[in-house]
Amino acid sequence: MEERTIEIRPPGVASKEVPRMMRSQAGGQEPAGIPESNATLGGLFEAIEQDRKFETVVHDSARDDNPVLEIQEFRLWYGEAQALHDVSMICPQGKVTALIGPSGCGKSTLLRCVNRMNDLIDSVRISGDMLLNGQSIYDKGVDVIELRKRIGMVFQKPNPFPMSIFENVVYSLRIDGERDRRVLQEVCEQSLRGAGLWKEVKDRLDSSALALSGGQQQRLCIARAIAAEPDVLLLDEPCSALDPIATGRIEELIEELKGTYSILIVTHNMQQASRASDFTAFMYLGRLVEFGSTEDIFLQPKLKETEDYVTGRFG
Amino acid sequence: MKPRATGTRRPRKTRFSVTFSEGASRALITVGGIGTIAAVALIFVFLLWVVVPLFTAPTVEAAERLSAGSLEAPRAVLIDEYQLLASTLDADGTLRTFDFASGEKIGERKPLEQRPSAVSLSPEGRDFAAGFEDGSVRIGRFGYRSYFPPEAELAPELRAIEDGVVVRYEDGVLQRVQDGALRFQGIDVELSDPLSMRKSTPIERIAHTARDDGMVLCVWTDGGLIFVETEERTNFLTGEVVLDLSETELAYEPDPSRGTPDYLLLVGRGDNVLLLWEDGRLERVDVRDPESASVVEVVDVVPADGEVVTALSFLIGKSTLVVGDSTGAVRSWFRIKPEAAGTPDGTVFVPAHRFGSTGSAVTALAPSPRSRLISVGREDGTVQIYQATTEALLVELEVGPDAIRALSMSPKEDGLCVLTAADEVMRWDMDPRHPEADLTALFAPVWYEGYEQPAHVWQSESGTDEFEPKLGFLPLIYGTLKATLYSMLFGAPLALFAALYTSEFLSRRLRTPIKSIIEMMASLPSVVLGFLAALVIAPVAQTVVPATLVSFVTLPLALLLGAYLWQLLPQRLSIRWSGWQRLCCMGLALPVGVLSALALGPWVEGLLFAGNIELWLDGQRGNGVGGWLILLLPLCALLWTLFGGRALGPWMRRRSANWSRHQCAVLDIAKFGVGIAASIGVALLVSSLLDGAGYDPRGSYVGTYVQRNALIVGFVMGFAIIPIIYTLAEDALSSVPEHLRLASLGAGATPWQTAVRVIVPTAMSGLFSAVMIGLGRAVGETMIVLMATGNTPVMDMNIFNGFRTLSANIAVELPEAVQNSTHYRALFLAALVLFAMTFTLNTLAELVRLRFRKRAVQL
Ligand SMILES: Nc1ncnc2c1ncn2[C@@H]1O[C@H](COP(=O)(O)OP(=O)(O)OP(=O)(O)O)[C@@H](O)[C@H]1O
Ligand SMILES: [Mg+2]
Repeated sequence: MEERTIEIRPPGVASKEVPRMMRSQAGGQEPAGIPESNATLGGLFEAIEQDRKFETVVHDSARDDNPVLEIQEFRLWYGEAQALHDVSMICPQGKVTALIGPSGCGKSTLLRCVNRMNDLIDSVRISGDMLLNGQSIYDKGVDVIELRKRIGMVFQKPNPFPMSIFENVVYSLRIDGERDRRVLQEVCEQSLRGAGLWKEVKDRLDSSALALSGGQQQRLCIARAIAAEPDVLLLDEPCSALDPIATGRIEELIEELKGTYSILIVTHNMQQASRASDFTAFMYLGRLVEFGSTEDIFLQPKLKETEDYVTGRFG
Repeated sequence: MKPRATGTRRPRKTRFSVTFSEGASRALITVGGIGTIAAVALIFVFLLWVVVPLFTAPTVEAAERLSAGSLEAPRAVLIDEYQLLASTLDADGTLRTFDFASGEKIGERKPLEQRPSAVSLSPEGRDFAAGFEDGSVRIGRFGYRSYFPPEAELAPELRAIEDGVVVRYEDGVLQRVQDGALRFQGIDVELSDPLSMRKSTPIERIAHTARDDGMVLCVWTDGGLIFVETEERTNFLTGEVVLDLSETELAYEPDPSRGTPDYLLLVGRGDNVLLLWEDGRLERVDVRDPESASVVEVVDVVPADGEVVTALSFLIGKSTLVVGDSTGAVRSWFRIKPEAAGTPDGTVFVPAHRFGSTGSAVTALAPSPRSRLISVGREDGTVQIYQATTEALLVELEVGPDAIRALSMSPKEDGLCVLTAADEVMRWDMDPRHPEADLTALFAPVWYEGYEQPAHVWQSESGTDEFEPKLGFLPLIYGTLKATLYSMLFGAPLALFAALYTSEFLSRRLRTPIKSIIEMMASLPSVVLGFLAALVIAPVAQTVVPATLVSFVTLPLALLLGAYLWQLLPQRLSIRWSGWQRLCCMGLALPVGVLSALALGPWVEGLLFAGNIELWLDGQRGNGVGGWLILLLPLCALLWTLFGGRALGPWMRRRSANWSRHQCAVLDIAKFGVGIAASIGVALLVSSLLDGAGYDPRGSYVGTYVQRNALIVGFVMGFAIIPIIYTLAEDALSSVPEHLRLASLGAGATPWQTAVRVIVPTAMSGLFSAVMIGLGRAVGETMIVLMATGNTPVMDMNIFNGFRTLSANIAVELPEAVQNSTHYRALFLAALVLFAMTFTLNTLAELVRLRFRKRAVQL
């Protein structure tokens, strides 16, 4: 077990010194267990709020030599405000990893960084690195378009295109130049079935996607994401607008997908996290607090704060 | 209840000041809004107010009648400018004057002293020539004369005349006019002494016409034609004016079986003599050179068998001959100059117009002295007035049971005077309004005097009354559309692509300054642009026409080639350099394109355009292949792209699925090269075929080069409309919700795919209305077209020719149009048409925008 202190600089200073992209050379150094220092902190959240020294707790169960995604000391600033502090974690191949934490703690930010959606925001600066199958995502020579084809994403807010339902689902095939109507229809049906939307829309595939209800739109976005057959699927609160039946359907879908795809899912629903995920990461104020297998996090959390959060006693 | 943080309870009643300002602002906004609508409506109403009289029906109203006693053989009836007097002229030269107020004859004279054997009266009845039995001729002028006699010399009872009362005085009338003076109105005759000709045989027919340097006569005497030119000469010693005659016996061999022609006429300024027999045979003699005059054409002006000519008259200008016959048909004839005339002088006499269907025999014809109206009197006592160019029947009168002997229209065209067979003289007040500008004349092809065929012509300037105003709107509307089309072709794609580029590809930091700069272009006064176009761009472009044409090909090619070469870069490099380096390379392609165009220009000119493009365009040398090639090349390239994308694309993709990036890039370049070669080859083949089949592009889309032409206007006006289209389009594109952009990019689409598949369709309504508003601006743009086009109202699609737009036309002509004249009202109609065009465009744009916005709201 290795002790590491993380130097936390005032944002103003950091913004000038930290280069926009910096590959971390320190691979495979995830700290695990409870560092002594954390135990003595008294209130962990208080310590984080006061920007004091703090160490992520990583369970042994969450170690994998061959993860599909590896996040290394990732920091992110929105202008002057730091939104992610030294996040280091992995997503194992073919497994479901859940990100939980209170609102505004940086879950969506972290997720967006995985397929470099944050490039589109001018004020964003980052340091640290992410590796997809051992290759850097943030390297200068990386083709972002190709990367995004491998990492699909479902956003927190449903965002269907103002086109027909059919065109929405097969969008990724369209941009790849697929013209075969049979293939498109096949993929459309499969994806919609997968997202549990087929029954509701099969008779009106050609009507506007904007006429769907909010929950249906979200499932449509999921269908659109899985139609692209990505390696990694990022789901940002996919079920927040869904009823329990649809939620169940999505969870089934996640279950079906998980062998083939690796999934990173953000959720506020603890039952969902415990039911559907294999690994769980608990974040607080831009920091990764505790990371381990879902069983460990929910049944034997090492931190009291984690336990409070997952059992709903938080706050 | 728990107290609130402020410690007080929130008041539930709205404060008075809030209610008041609410009401006040609402009232203000309502007033402003209604005011705007009212202002626009008022402009519209004002335009209509001026325009509507163009289309109101002419009025005519019976005014006075008098009995002329008994006339022997009246030849003509005349009426003066103030419609106080009427005069009749008998065949024996007796001139009688009547006063409408008293209905009495107030004078009778015989200015010619002896009975003339032939008389020729000008159509407006003001100058005349008379021939006599003894072979002499007299020429002269008679007309009404008004002057203000000094009141002191008048009898006291005359001095006491009240306003409006007409009193006989000498052989005329006195009338007190508005400013209090007494005006005398009477008839006056100026007459030359008898001029004897070389031959002293009786003069059987005489014709005359006025030239700038004196009267021209033609007489038929002794079975032959003599052409006489007169010249006034002032005797320096006595101050006497003497008339010199120079006679030329025309080498005209009369057909003895036909005898003396029934009518003899001189056309226009005396370049043709017409001999007309009663049965309708008309022989036209070309007398431009009297020494070698000859019959150039024989036509039959009365096609019906056994029918005869019963009346004829020239229209003002003496170019159009109106013939009425015993079937009641009235036709007008004039000379045209068709390409294959088949006559020695290259002109043909054609029956251009026909007025009304046949009816009762025509007994009298009288043209208007100031316009192209013709009044027709008939055997059955009816009178019609027609507009001779539009053939429209303006007025129809039932005068009475007696045949019409003679008629005339007053000099101001506000009265009609008729002499019936019962020797009654009648007068009508009339107002023909604006007969030369009815809907047919404005919007349909009209056969104007001297034109080969009915045509749309705008030519409103009227130096003299003889000139016929031609108010065809289509050339102007056409010019407006041409200017709009060419400027939109240039400006709209540029503006839209610029907007797409700034909103989708440019970094956010650069976006604002660039947008402001382009918007600043809008503040460039259009007169400056027009000035630049006319005095800088047009002369320069003329020297580099081939290079300009070639640049339309080389510029896109250079850009595309640059893009393909860029693909050759290793992937890592091309991604790393996707910032300013790529922009620089793009910038480099532009000068390369321009320079290669400049270098290739002369070569292409030599190859395709026979070495001189202006002569080639003029049709003077070379064949049509070069023109077709330039026109077809873009089309072929487009077809190749489609073909390559649709048919070849999937096949190539399958083949090259496992190839490396570099190989693909090389393949692409090869494809590009083959595409260019194929396009040129196909274009050349089709061009040669088209040329071989006899089609020549010259004369349609390309043609004679005029320095200030549609290409220049398109280019410069494009600049004027770019800022407005750009701004609106950019707004529309950037207002597409960000989450759609993220969704598309997140699915792995490139920015270009995102733009084309998601952003543009979503922003379609905004883009559409941007283009429409740009269109509205182009339609109404005045200064640039005024300065940079030759303002020639021609109707052809030739991109190298000028044109005249509605707006430029108004700007040019309104200052010199007489208020409330037909021309003035026609210009207001042009404004109305323009208003309607822009209004339609903007309304359409708004409707489409609203329709699309409904969709956008749901996003
Ligand atoms: N585009 C942005 N610009 C500036 N700050 C941002 C931006 N997006 C997020 N933030 C900030 O970063 C922090 C993390 O936001 P994030 O959206 O990642 O939270 P989250 O964990 O997903 O919360 P939630 O559960 O409510 O979705 C927040 O404090 C937020 O204000
Ligand atoms: Mg979130």
